[in-house]
Order: sequence, then structure tokens, then C-alpha cells
Amino acid sequence: MTAHETVLRACGVYKVFVARGGKARTALRDVDLEVRRGEFMCLIGPSGCGKTTVLNMFAGLVQPSDGTILHEGRVVDAVNTRVGYVTQDDNLLPWRSVIGNVELALECKGVPRAERRERARDYVGRVGLEGLEELYPHELSGGMRKRVSIARTLVDDSVHVILMDEPFGPLDAQTRIILQDELLRLWQGTGRTIVFVTHDLIEAIALSDRIAIFTSVPGSIKGIREVALPRPRDVFHIHETSGFSDIYDEIWNDLQEEILKTRLDATA
Amino acid sequence: MPPPDPAATILERERSLLASETRAFATRRRRETTRLLAIQSSLFVVLLVAWWAASGTLVDPLFLSDPITVARALLQIAIDGTLWWHLQWTLIEMTLGYALGVAVGLGLAIAVTAIPWGAQILRPVMLGLFAIPKVALAPLVIVWFGIYLVPKVILAASLVLFVVYFNTVAGIAAVNLTMHEAVRVMGASRLALLTKLVLPSAAPYILTAMRIALPGALIGAIIGEFLSSDRGIGFLIAAASSRYDTARVFAGIFSLLVFVLLLNAMITRIERHLTRWQPLPEAKKA
Repeated sequence: MTAHETVLRACGVYKVFVARGGKARTALRDVDLEVRRGEFMCLIGPSGCGKTTVLNMFAGLVQPSDGTILHEGRVVDAVNTRVGYVTQDDNLLPWRSVIGNVELALECKGVPRAERRERARDYVGRVGLEGLEELYPHELSGGMRKRVSIARTLVDDSVHVILMDEPFGPLDAQTRIILQDELLRLWQGTGRTIVFVTHDLIEAIALSDRIAIFTSVPGSIKGIREVALPRPRDVFHIHETSGFSDIYDEIWNDLQEEILKTRLDATA
Repeated sequence: MPPPDPAATILERERSLLASETRAFATRRRRETTRLLAIQSSLFVVLLVAWWAASGTLVDPLFLSDPITVARALLQIAIDGTLWWHLQWTLIEMTLGYALGVAVGLGLAIAVTAIPWGAQILRPVMLGLFAIPKVALAPLVIVWFGIYLVPKVILAASLVLFVVYFNTVAGIAAVNLTMHEAVRVMGASRLALLTKLVLPSAAPYILTAMRIALPGALIGAIIGEFLSSDRGIGFLIAAASSRYDTARVFAGIFSLLVFVLLLNAMITRIERHLTRWQPLPEAKKA
């Protein structure tokens, strides 16, 4: 058994938000989470449970009210430029072409022009957008924009940790699966660590090595499950893979409880 | 004769469809532009005719002159060179004032928004200064800055600065926050954030302000010339007015009008170039 090296860590993290009326509300309660180097980890839980807040903390965009966030043992107390962040909206710069958007992170890191152009071109090809380099975001479909957004994060090889916040949320079912497949191909063998927020259990099982299940708000970690399915995975037929339904049922039991709680709270 | 290849037929049909749609689109746009231009110019002609008809019947020609006399006056000062000489001075004052106003407004807005709460702190002061009627201050400006080029430039700048300042502040405040965060995580420096995200994002606001403020620069320069000057279109108008040479007054005004339209067309072109990444209005509807 190899010892796992922790890349990201949340230790006893609390987050309290003050709502518009001035009333404080607990969003995260005593969250302990370790992300291992090179793994694909999904965070799953009912909507509004604070999954995104955890990602924002890893990115250094939000500071915990109590507890600490560590990246390779160092406290994250400012914007963490050592991670790549694929946000929920694709956040492409509308005035930049596809290639210009993919080059952005490399520009910020000071990569020389010729090199960044070449690397960006390579990545645009890898996400299947070859020939569309000069188009503007408004000329692309939702799935294409997602591809650009993923390419512009992965192209920066100085980051080894990628945070993804429901990146495929707004896409239609077929496009989602195709992009899941592409993401796995792009990630496999790179040794990069991915923390992926989703509320889709099948997606979580198809993609991840481990799944952290969040409780309903205030969010905390209800449990962590290993997904011992072999890789490379066939996401198109993941539900037919042996062992899938056991994992699915097990996690669904945990998740269902929390989702029901959220619904009861909403109707109360 | 061999049967036609169905795949080739389909391709051929598609190709001709693409070509005809592209052509139809170009024709439609051209037709729209022509129609707009036709309506605009007929409106202008209607106004001219109304003016011509009213002059001498409803209104004393001494008050309003008439289009033909004005055209003659305009032609005369254009031929003898008076117009160009005065126009050149107004253009210099206006350009310098405009450049100064845009630079100060833009620079101040960028500096102020770089400081937390900066824009809010400065807001009452800027609003107060904005509200001062610059025209009323004009005599003082002459006292402060003399009677030559500087007071005209200052007056022109003062009518440009605030529009550019307030619009730029609004444009910077409207930057998408999550986009801002995403670019920060990429490791952008403050300067990179400004040049790669904030300014391009605020560009439509800034360009609109620059277009709106353009006539302001002209008005500022003209007011300066009215008060004390021996050159410029404002001086030409004032001098003609004091001699009740109404035709010449209107000739001066017309030259300004043409001038402003030309400048506006120029800015619109620049604006279109800089915002070419935006979807066409037609694409938005779809």
C-alpha cells in the first residue's frame, strides 16, 4: 500500500456568511477534507450545501471563518495562483477569440508569445476545436465554450491542481457525457489532481477515484467513498460496469437522506 | 448518361444556398443603410425648405436669414479662406481640450477605482464639480488662464472630463466579478487585470462617453472664443452677430454642424472596430 500524499487540505473549516438582512448563517461546519496528489475527487451534495465555497477556499478567493486551508502544507491566505479554476460559468472574455482566451493564463504567467501561441493551438486541437481558433465566444455553442474554458485552464502546465465547479451543469445530456469522456482522456496520465464539484451522482462515479459526500446546509463531510472501478473508464456505458450499482446504491443512500432534509427544510 | 451522384447534388445545393444567403444578407444590410440615409437626408431637406418658406413670410429675414443667403455666405468665406483659418483654430483648441479631458477623466477614474472606496469617497466632490455651469465660470477661466489658447482648452476639457470620468467608473464597476476572480487565479498582476480584463470590459462605456462628450469639447472651445478671442469659429459667429450679419452667423453654425457630423462618424467607426467582438444585433435576436 502506497502512502498518499495530501495536496489540498481543509482542517476544521467553518464558514459563516452574513446575509443581506445582517443575520449570520453557517454555510460550512467543521469540514475536514484531504485531497490526494494525482487523484480525481468529486464533491457531491444537495444544492446550497457549500461545495462551491470549499472550491473558492482552495482557490483562495474566500477565507474560512475558522479553521485552515492548506495547499502542499502552506496556508492559503490569498488568491491561490497555483491552482487552475474552471468556474461554473465559462467566464470566457467575450472580446477575445478562442485562441486568445486559451492564451490568457499563459500571458498572465509571462510565457513568451510564440511559445504560448503554439501551446494554445495544441490545446485547442486537443479539445476538438481545431479550425475555430479565430471565432469569438458568442459564436460558439455551450459545449464548445466549455471546451475552451477547460482548455484555457489545462494549458497552463505550471498548475498541478485543477478545481472544477459543476463545469458540465448547464449542458444537455449527450454533450455532458462526451465532455466527461474528453476530460478523462485529457487528465489520464498527467498526474494532475482534480477536485470536481457536481450534484450528479452518475457523473461523480464515472469520473472520480473518491467521492466526498456533503451533508445539507450547513455543509460538512458526511462520508468519503472510494470508486474502485478500473481505468480507463467507458463513461458511455458506466452504468453497465460491474460494481457500478453497488457504489451507486451505497452513495445514493447517504445522499438521499441529505437531499430529503433540504426539501423538508424548504417546505417547513 | 451516368445517374447523378446524390452526395454531390446535396453538396452542390448546400453550396449555392450558402452563397445566395450570404449575398441576400449583404443586400439587406446595404438596403437598410441606404434607406436610413435617404430618410435622414429628406428630413434635412424638409427642414431647409420649411426654413426657406418661413423666411420673409413668417419671420423677418434679419432674424433667421434664409438657406440660399446662408449658402452664399458660406461659399464666400470658404473661397476667401476665412472659414478654414478660423476652423483650424477651433479645431486645435477643441482637439487639445478633448484629449486633455479624456486623458484626465480616464486616468482619474482608473486611479480612483484602484483604491478601495475611492470612487465613493470622491463621488460628492465630482458630482459637485460636474454640476457647476462651466459657461458661468468662463469669465473667471479667462482671468485665470489668459486670453489665448489655454482658457479655451480648459473649458473644452471641463465639458469632456466628467462624462468620461463617470462613465469609466460605471464601466469598471460593471466588470463581471467571477470573471475577475477567474483571471486573478490565473496569476494576473494588477496591471494585467487592468489591461486584459477591466479596460476591455469597460470599453463600451468609455467609447460611448467619448462619443457623447465630443460636442462638449466643441462647445467649450466656442464659449471661450465668444468671450475673448480674435480667431476661431466662435469669434467669427460673435463678430457677425454683433454686426447683425445673420447669414454669416448661420454659415458659421453650419460649418460647425458639418464638422461635428464628420467627427461623430469617425468615432463611430473606431467604436465599431473596437467592439467588433460583439454579436451583431441580428444575431442577438436569434
